[in-house]
Amino acid sequence: MLAPTLFILFITGFVPFLYVLVVSFFDWNTFAQNPEPQFAGVNNFRRLVFDEAFLKSVGLTLKFTFFVLVSQLVIGFALAKLMMRNFPLKGLFRTVHTLPLMIAPIAVGATWRLMTVPGLGPIPHFMGKWFDISYVLSRFPDQAFATVVIMDIWHWTPLVTLTLLAGLSNVPEEPLEQARIDGAREWRIFWDITLPFLKPVLLTTIFIRLMDALRTVDEVWMLTGGGPGAATRFIGLYIWKIVFPKTDYGYGSAMSVLTLYMTIVLCWLLYVAMTGMKENKK
Amino acid sequence: MNRGFFHSKTVTVIFWLCMSMLTLVPIWWMFLVSVKRRVDLFGAPSFFLDVSSMTWDNYAVVLGNPVFRKYMFNSLVVATSNAVLVSVLALLAAYAMSRYKLPGKDNIFFWVLTNRMAPPAVFLLPLFLLYTTVFVVGDWSLFDTRIGLILLYCVFNLPFAFWLLQGMVDGIPQELDEAAYVDGASTFYVLRTVIFPLARPGLAVTAILTWVFAWNEYLFASTLTSVHARTITTGLAEFVTVTGTNWGQLAAVAVLTLLPAALVLALVQRHIVAGLTFGAVKG
Amino acid sequence: MIKRLLASTALTLAMGGAACADFWSDASTEYKGVTIRGISESTPPSNYVRDVLAPAFTEATGIVVELETTSWDQMFDKAIKDMEANSGIYDFVYVEQDIIYSYLARDFLVDVTAALDANPDLKAPDFSFEDFTTFIDNFRGDNGDIFGIPMEAFIKVYLYRKDLFEDPEHQAAFKEKYGYDLAPAVTFDQWRDNAEYFSELDPNDQLWGTTVQASSGHVASFYEFFESIAPTFGLYDWGINVEKGAASVEKGGSMNSETAKKALAFWISLLDYAPPEATSSTWDEVASTFAAGRAAQGWVYGENAAWIATNSEKSSVVGKVGVTLPPVADGVMEAAEAGEGYIGYYDGGAFSIPHSSRNKEAALLWLQYIGQPSVQADWAVAGSRVVHQATYDDPKVQAQDAKADGYYTLMKDKGYLFKGAPEYPFHAQVRETVAPFIYEAIIGQLDPSEALDKAAAAADAEMKQLGYGQ
Repeated sequence: MLAPTLFILFITGFVPFLYVLVVSFFDWNTFAQNPEPQFAGVNNFRRLVFDEAFLKSVGLTLKFTFFVLVSQLVIGFALAKLMMRNFPLKGLFRTVHTLPLMIAPIAVGATWRLMTVPGLGPIPHFMGKWFDISYVLSRFPDQAFATVVIMDIWHWTPLVTLTLLAGLSNVPEEPLEQARIDGAREWRIFWDITLPFLKPVLLTTIFIRLMDALRTVDEVWMLTGGGPGAATRFIGLYIWKIVFPKTDYGYGSAMSVLTLYMTIVLCWLLYVAMTGMKENKK
Repeated sequence: MNRGFFHSKTVTVIFWLCMSMLTLVPIWWMFLVSVKRRVDLFGAPSFFLDVSSMTWDNYAVVLGNPVFRKYMFNSLVVATSNAVLVSVLALLAAYAMSRYKLPGKDNIFFWVLTNRMAPPAVFLLPLFLLYTTVFVVGDWSLFDTRIGLILLYCVFNLPFAFWLLQGMVDGIPQELDEAAYVDGASTFYVLRTVIFPLARPGLAVTAILTWVFAWNEYLFASTLTSVHARTITTGLAEFVTVTGTNWGQLAAVAVLTLLPAALVLALVQRHIVAGLTFGAVKG
Repeated sequence: MIKRLLASTALTLAMGGAACADFWSDASTEYKGVTIRGISESTPPSNYVRDVLAPAFTEATGIVVELETTSWDQMFDKAIKDMEANSGIYDFVYVEQDIIYSYLARDFLVDVTAALDANPDLKAPDFSFEDFTTFIDNFRGDNGDIFGIPMEAFIKVYLYRKDLFEDPEHQAAFKEKYGYDLAPAVTFDQWRDNAEYFSELDPNDQLWGTTVQASSGHVASFYEFFESIAPTFGLYDWGINVEKGAASVEKGGSMNSETAKKALAFWISLLDYAPPEATSSTWDEVASTFAAGRAAQGWVYGENAAWIATNSEKSSVVGKVGVTLPPVADGVMEAAEAGEGYIGYYDGGAFSIPHSSRNKEAALLWLQYIGQPSVQADWAVAGSRVVHQATYDDPKVQAQDAKADGYYTLMKDKGYLFKGAPEYPFHAQVRETVAPFIYEAIIGQLDPSEALDKAAAAADAEMKQLGYGQ
């Protein structure tokens, strides 16, 4: 019963991976003087280590991931807590809050592009009018980076809210009630009771967001194209630029292998943390 | 300040009103742009809908375009088939993982997840070559077919569905299916009569989310299709660099892209939280 | 060559005029119902092909044409992958003038001349290579044969707002401020003065001094600098010395020469007078900025000249557009006249048949169909592109010419001063290597001199890696 799943993933996931792995040991550019792949050993990987642009992209991606993860966890948790209350129109508010989650990343990029186009979008207009800030996404790297982070927070916080809400709903009432009767402080209750119950779901959420944040491409490509300069050129975008416009297949593959490896290591650490905890509980 | 104030219903509702505004502003703005005439686009922005100068022309142009309708249809077919396929396969796999003792279970599980981790750009080149030169029968190849996309989207949807359903299936007491087996039921019968009804909320969420992911996918679709199987997200991207930077039509396409997903969400939103428990929740 | 010429002339004579009407249906009997697929950038000329010429061709021949029009980046990406993988998806592809050398170096394309010679039955009577402007020479291989049928060609011109430049109030105010008459720029200082004047008029008027195609994340900025601005300063062919495979001055190139640095500094200084979207502008945004009346002057790709000047649905400056040659440094015009240099970018593209095509014969018919004299004039009016010499004299084109302030005449008379991209097989690779440094110069992270030094060093390394350099 496992076989169809494994088979499909083998074809669409593992075979391409093997291919990339093999190509990463070759010098291969369609438009080189010699367009045939040439075995190059670990040369591509050696180039990578000294490639400032690549290292910068790695750094940017990690910085981006860190910012969005932390913001989304904090905001998402606060909102999930608020969702636990009873109030009128709750269902409606929850639907509205979930809306961005359903939008295609490429459409999210388009949406934010419409918000930020000079002369057309409201953000540059009101930034200038109210705060006297000249907001030009394509000119100021920090603004671009911040906008991309905010866009991602807008887009993905709902997922964090929902999963944490699912987690919070599963926290049993009795210990909480008991603690309140005993006069424990709210933050102690949170720390000692809620958090342990929430920990698995919290880690899962981090896991999902980490995976997806590291591979962000579509919305950033649509909003900034990786610019200005290299300010939002995350790894995914950089790989795309190397493999497609530059047709540098060998080098791009090496970059892919290294990136995949780093992602897996990061995720593996988290995964071990998660399963480790499972065992502790048993 | 007393705590009662912050906990009052009025304050909560007002807070959520503000949150909803923040969430909706970009979407509302996109809608505004989509109903503006080209000559009205530039100038001081206003968040109010000017009914007197609003126009549905952008939608008329987009919807009147048969190519675009085809993209929309392709997206529907691909997303729906993929969601169904993935849900079924993942349920089978999750059941197997949950009930049978398999060697290296954790590693299999993690390997399945790694398929979702890869930056998609990594796989574009090999997939392109596979689709155009390996999976070929005569003049037919997987390239630019809806089947090709349906299979391909498994690479990120299957791990996700598998993960989601694992928690669900693990949560179904094993005694239930054991009882059925004792009565001489086949595996298929157990799946159909015991597991399926109990896993239904989880399956619904799985199907919906994978549907949305498939509907929203862009990078693979843009590379692995050219004419026949192109999806709506690639149509959206095509509008970006078209001469004159046609913002109104771009916005109209974007609105049309998110509409079906938003509708699905509105219909099923109350199930989502119930189903979003993932494998880990069980801890 | 001469043999081919004689053969085609003889054929034309033999078939005569009457046979023309039937040629398409006769020649295509075998291919009725065949579908040929192509890919092109979504531009006015390509959209005209998709919407008008393709249905007409189907009508005449029964061959179905599916033309995919997409973004520039995706077009290259998909065409190259198809030809590389030999997957046979496309039967004809758009080949821009600047990438043809890369494609020829890889032998991706069918030799059209030879294919027509080999299949005389498929040779359309009223199609002739001789009808084309010299632009077709860009698509010749080493053997002199044609590898692509030009479908669009235009020059990147200097556009200015006639209404503003001819306004007596502006003329008086300008003269008072700068001490000379307001006029379309012929020198760089004048360009800057014009730009400064119109930018500083009124901070709230949504009018800026000049367009700049200075996208800080898209190669459009690389192209504007190296193919339009640098040549007017006297820096040609990206500053690359192709014999030595070198870009940097130290190795024998001139990418980081003083001329190059001066040109880049000037170009970037124009950003002070450009609308805020300049740093996200590709050719499309530049055209729409100008069409929205947000800039008083600027370099605009000619394919957009017609709609900016005449289409009141999309453009708010109809009837107010002036067209002329761009300003140049001392001596550059003389060099261009003498054929030793050029003053700007002569761009365009052709449809070619990849070797991987499975329907070469049908595609060959299609290529001739779009290359016929009879389809040229309407197409030129719709997309301001001219590939046949005779098109200039067509009454429809001349009427459009009058509305577009003589763009077509300018292209006809002065087109020889412009030149396409240099013949580099490593076009895209070096472009992708150099462009990021231009981006950083645009946003001020590198000063122009530093940016070009780094760019030249990186270009040296890339050419070496590819096997073209030292």
